[in-house]
Amino acid sequence: MSDASLRTPFPQRAHAALEDAHLQEALGIATTKFIGLRRESFAGFPEGEALRDRARAIKEGTLLQLDRHLERLADNIERLGGHVHWAATGEEARDIVLRLCRDKGVRMAVKSKSMATEEIELNEALEAAGVKPVETDLGEYIIQLAHEKPSHIIAPAIHKTKGQVADLFSKELGGRFEADPEVLTAVARKELRQKFLEADMGITGANFAVAETGTIVLVTNEGNGRMVTSLPRIHVAVMGMEKVIPTMTDLMVFLAILARSATGQKLSSYTTLVRGPRQPGETEGPEELHLILMDNGRTRQIAGTLREALYCLRCGACLNVCPVYRQIGGHAYGYTYPGPIGILLTAMLKGAASVKDLAHASSLCGACKDVCPVRIDIPRMLVDLRAELQRKGIASWPERVIFRFARRIMTSPGLFRLGARLGRVAQRPFVRSGRLSGLPLFLGQWTRTRDLPPIASRTFSERWPGLRQTKDLDRP
Amino acid sequence: MTTRAEFLGSIRQEMAKTRGLFDASPVPRSADARQAEEVVRRQMLERWPQALERFREEYEGVAGVFHRVSSIGEVPGVIRRIAHERRAKNVLSWHPGALGLDLRESLGCEGLAVSVAPDGHPDAAARATHRDVAARAEIGVTGVDWALAETGTLVLVSGTGRPRSTSLLPATHVAVFGRDSLVESLEQTGVMLEALHVDPARSMSGAVINFITGPSRTADIELTLTRGVHGPKEVHAIFVESR
Repeated sequence: MSDASLRTPFPQRAHAALEDAHLQEALGIATTKFIGLRRESFAGFPEGEALRDRARAIKEGTLLQLDRHLERLADNIERLGGHVHWAATGEEARDIVLRLCRDKGVRMAVKSKSMATEEIELNEALEAAGVKPVETDLGEYIIQLAHEKPSHIIAPAIHKTKGQVADLFSKELGGRFEADPEVLTAVARKELRQKFLEADMGITGANFAVAETGTIVLVTNEGNGRMVTSLPRIHVAVMGMEKVIPTMTDLMVFLAILARSATGQKLSSYTTLVRGPRQPGETEGPEELHLILMDNGRTRQIAGTLREALYCLRCGACLNVCPVYRQIGGHAYGYTYPGPIGILLTAMLKGAASVKDLAHASSLCGACKDVCPVRIDIPRMLVDLRAELQRKGIASWPERVIFRFARRIMTSPGLFRLGARLGRVAQRPFVRSGRLSGLPLFLGQWTRTRDLPPIASRTFSERWPGLRQTKDLDRP
Repeated sequence: MTTRAEFLGSIRQEMAKTRGLFDASPVPRSADARQAEEVVRRQMLERWPQALERFREEYEGVAGVFHRVSSIGEVPGVIRRIAHERRAKNVLSWHPGALGLDLRESLGCEGLAVSVAPDGHPDAAARATHRDVAARAEIGVTGVDWALAETGTLVLVSGTGRPRSTSLLPATHVAVFGRDSLVESLEQTGVMLEALHVDPARSMSGAVINFITGPSRTADIELTLTRGVHGPKEVHAIFVESR
């Protein structure tokens, strides 16, 4: 997202999203549908739970020997005739792609959907260097034409209506197209087919990379991943280094749960396993294959609080169930990765300070953890992140004052009792119909959008002796 | 530019801080991939009829069209019908050596233009010609390496005479398979892939293995399911009882 939109503070971005009636409707329909599809898919799949445990164990085991798996992957890719590049930062990854474009005389690059290239804002860099990037996933194509950013990890254009897409296509592609998804899809097919055949370079991400065989794995439904890796003369894959997995056997475990978690399919339409450039005897395929292994803040978390976020498969399931995402959608988060996992990934890539506000955009209800195919404990990490913001003095001063105050009171029984007594008196003017609302000063920011239960007239410990007596009397 | 040594060095530095925190837990697999493959093959000798039934169910569930014929000689007839219904003229198939069937003989005289993929080591000119042919083809006919029952998936390995785009560029994909290629589960498919990769002759054959589950699809506009975005709108699987 552009810096301009990030200059608007998060509460205002969220507020704008809440006011957008159309966005609200689209979000409601999309997330509810995804939740249902996922639930149905796992309901008829009893082995799914054990597979999720196994998938998590593979991620844990791989991270433990990450250096060896990456070495093995690189050796195998090179043995198969591919090239491996190591990028410590996003900027470096971008430069590698740009250098390849320059050296090979690339004028147009077709792209299949890739969060890694969104992460490094590759399209902007390519355009600035005079290379035309063409997004070929239908959703990504739509938002590229509209000069927007994806609002959902797997359904980038869910915030747009078919009417808006028809207007966009009519304006950008010349013509007058009906607001019918069938018609609009056919328009994109024709338009993009030509691009696939003309492009010099195909750029992809990678859902997985199998170390033992040197295989880059792409999962798509539209088939654009296949086009991009088959037709242009150069294939470049940009991959976060944590996507490496050890073996083909492991890959099958992930395939069994990835599509179910994302779209409720047993498998996506296409799973493409790429091993090196075109082999002797093959009619098609790129002459050159380049894999860019990207760190960009990931290594720091191997021993950091966000370690588990390195397990993420980018399925988007946690977005759909998140009560915050469901209300504000992807754009309000302001960064490449939205939703609960997005907050953690943003903190990983851009540092904890970048999620000062976002760390609180969660009710910690735990729905994300429940649906995560690899059971990432997102709520725990959000709490850790909040603690870190507090500890490092990044959090806003009222927040820091309140929490320091609260800690002091809650760790001393005497102060706690006193505090409760004082609070009971002090809250009186603000209790309306059994709820605390309209608190003064900075506390008002909290009660503006939330009701709090008032402090009870008697604390639990005050009630306890009486409760115990009643219970004794009840006994026969 | 960061070097491999620098990149891995910083990873090792961080890993040193976590050693012993977690148990390594690799997924169990057979030590001998070929032997494991043989076990699956033997299992499937008995279980293929159930696997075929499950495959049909799942394939139809993802909008695939299932056909069953008793011999390879009946395959051209099915393709002819598909072509006529779609008013298609241009058929492209894998090389007869890879498909086990030469469609030029049986369909060529039916008003259909049948092309086959080049065999051997095609030069740049042959590759360019094939690309034009593939881009124009309306029906693409391929073989199948594995038919995966639990998901209705066709697994195709690219290679000589087996271009990857035959199942991608034409609007209709027709795949021909027999009982030998049936497997039940993703787990068994993993066993087969492990075996493929330890066999130097097979593993270097082609650079791409595709798992194809139904037609190309999208739901990117208002979550309305639409078929044939970039790949085929329509997919057919022809099961041949005896080869």
